[in-house]
Amino acid sequence: MRLAELKDKLSLKSLNDVYDKDVEGAFVSDMVSDVMAGAKPASVWVTTQTHKNVVAAANLVDIAAVIVTRGRPVSDETLEMASRAELTILTTDLDTYSLVGKLHAAGV
Amino acid sequence: MTDVRYGFIVVEKCYHCNDERSYFAAEHVPPKEEYREGEHFWDYMGSSQSVQFNLKCGECGAVVELGELLGLMTCAGCTDECDLNVLSRICESQRIWVYAALTYNPDEQMKAHMAEKLAVLSQYFNDRIRTEGKKILVVPGWLVHDVDMCHGSVLRDVGMFEVEPEPQTT
Repeated sequence: MRLAELKDKLSLKSLNDVYDKDVEGAFVSDMVSDVMAGAKPASVWVTTQTHKNVVAAANLVDIAAVIVTRGRPVSDETLEMASRAELTILTTDLDTYSLVGKLHAAGV
Repeated sequence: MTDVRYGFIVVEKCYHCNDERSYFAAEHVPPKEEYREGEHFWDYMGSSQSVQFNLKCGECGAVVELGELLGLMTCAGCTDECDLNVLSRICESQRIWVYAALTYNPDEQMKAHMAEKLAVLSQYFNDRIRTEGKKILVVPGWLVHDVDMCHGSVLRDVGMFEVEPEPQTT
């Protein structure tokens, strides 16, 4: 599935440009160390964390997009870094559990 | 990636000579006890959750041990005097993302070994990249001009305790 399609299906809001990529899975964690060690490339990363390290870790393992749950605010600094790395930051008011259910139902 | 060890990067300071240093502790809680080591009296300054790992070749089984690696850092662009900053800017224009590998204080022998290991680590990340034209370059941390003045961002788990639950409504 393409990222833009997933964004529309789940009514996710993009906080920067959508860099459309293939999405092959999802990874759920609030720890960058978890992502570095366990996330697969082309996954969407579901998290409540919004600091700059999220972008650095996502970029390192080639995450397709970060989905921030519970509508947590993301700083301009994080978004600027994400855009430089061509990493889409999506957000939803849903909590992580509800979003993961929808991701699964959407075939991710 | 093999032998993944979760733990903490612990920062400690000698209150005798004011030296600071960091190390990785593969423990469930960060060790906070003050202790003496020769002339130094090391005092716990802080810690953050992190991970250490080794790399194993999927074909021949050879293992590259990365126990010296404390963490990876991205450049914040503090000063033009810093080789990491200069390199990061040049590389970014070519969609190459530079990460500096922070290690224990390296001697010359360790520097030579680390260069080889970091080439393997770069290759590990690059082999997994799906985004066309993008590359990762892991370089030695000693490219940083002045570690004490560096504002680079170390990949570690910050903010874990700022994530508060939403207020309960009844």
